[in-house]
Amino acid sequence: MLRLLQRTPAITPETPDGALVQRAQKGESAAFKALFERHVVGVRRFLRDLLRQGDLADDATQETFARAHAQLAKLTDYDRFKPWVLGIARNVAFEARRVRQHDVLEDDDDSTPTAVIPSPDPERVLLDAELEKHFTEAMGTLSGNRRAALLMRLDHGLAYEEIAAAFGWSIPTVKNEIHRARLKLRAQLLPHLTGERT
Amino acid sequence: MSRCGRTAHLEAVALGEASPTLAAELRAHTKSCALCRHELNWLESESALFRQRAGRDEVAQLWKGVASRSGLETPPRDWPRVLVAMAAAAALVLMVGNAAPRASRSADGSPGDETLESSMLMTPAFFVEEESCSKLPSGVGFQCSPVVPASFLASR
Ligand SMILES: [Zn+2]
Repeated sequence: MLRLLQRTPAITPETPDGALVQRAQKGESAAFKALFERHVVGVRRFLRDLLRQGDLADDATQETFARAHAQLAKLTDYDRFKPWVLGIARNVAFEARRVRQHDVLEDDDDSTPTAVIPSPDPERVLLDAELEKHFTEAMGTLSGNRRAALLMRLDHGLAYEEIAAAFGWSIPTVKNEIHRARLKLRAQLLPHLTGERT
Repeated sequence: MSRCGRTAHLEAVALGEASPTLAAELRAHTKSCALCRHELNWLESESALFRQRAGRDEVAQLWKGVASRSGLETPPRDWPRVLVAMAAAAALVLMVGNAAPRASRSADGSPGDETLESSMLMTPAFFVEEESCSKLPSGVGFQCSPVVPASFLASR
C-alpha cells in the first residue's frame, strides 16, 4: 500500500511545467494548483494590462484558470503551459471587452515614427509613480492585440513562435506588430525618461 | 538612416536570451556602432521598466474562485478509496495520539511533530508538498496549509 502512495512524486520548484501538466491531466489537483501558483502573478498582470482595471482582472484571472482546467486535456504540447494559458487569458480579456479579435490589426495608428529618437540610459531608468502613470497611459494607446503581443514578448518572455501560435498569426506579423508597438511606446515615454543619450 | 545587420540580434541580448559569447560580441560591437548602441539602450530600458513593474506585483486571493469554478475543492475523484480509508484510520491514530499527554499541537492547529513521529504517515510521499507558498511574492494571498492531505483533515 505504501508503494502505491509513493508513486506520486513531490512537487518542487524544479518540477517542470510539462510534468505538472501531465499530472494535472490525470486528475491530480495539487499539480494544477502548482501551475496556478507558478503563473497566476503573470497572468493577472497580463489581464490587468489588457483590461486596464484591477477588479476586472481578478475575475478574468479566475475565469482564465477555470477554463485552463476545463480544457487542459487539449494541451498536448505539455511544456507550453505559459503561452497556452496567456492565449486563454487574451481570449477572456477580449470577450470581457467585447473586442472582436480579427479587427484589431486595423485599429492602430500605423504611422511609424521616422525621426531618430534619442535613447535613454538604461541604468538610470527608474519606474517611479509618475513614470508608471505615463507608462500605463502609453500602453493604453496600443490596440488590444498589439499590446497583448508586446506584453507576451517583453513582460512574459514568450518567443515569437509562441506568440504566433497563440494569436494564429505568422511570425513576420508578430515581429511587425511588436516593432510598431515598441516605436509607439518609445515615442511616448521619451519625454519622461531621464539620462538621455543621443 | 543607415542600417546595421546586427541590430536585429540585440533583443536577445537585452532579454538575456543570447549566449554569453554572442552577447559579449554584440556589446563590443555597440561601442563602435551608434545605431546598435542606441537600440540596445532602448531595449535595456524597456526591460528595466517591465522588470521593475513586475517586481511589485501583487495578487489577491484568487485560487478559491478557480477551485470553486473548477470543482477542485473536493478530493480528486480518482483518488483510490483505499487511501481515503487509510487516511480515516490514520486520523483515528492521531486522535488517540492527541489525547495522550505527549501530544502537542502547533500554534496554527496542525498536528505537532511528536504526535506524527510515531505514525506511519511519516512516509514522505504521503505528505502534500506545499513549499510553493513560501516562494510566492509578498501579497500573494494563499495560506500555507498543514502538510496533510485535505481528505485527511476532513475526516478528523
Ligand atoms: Zn551595429
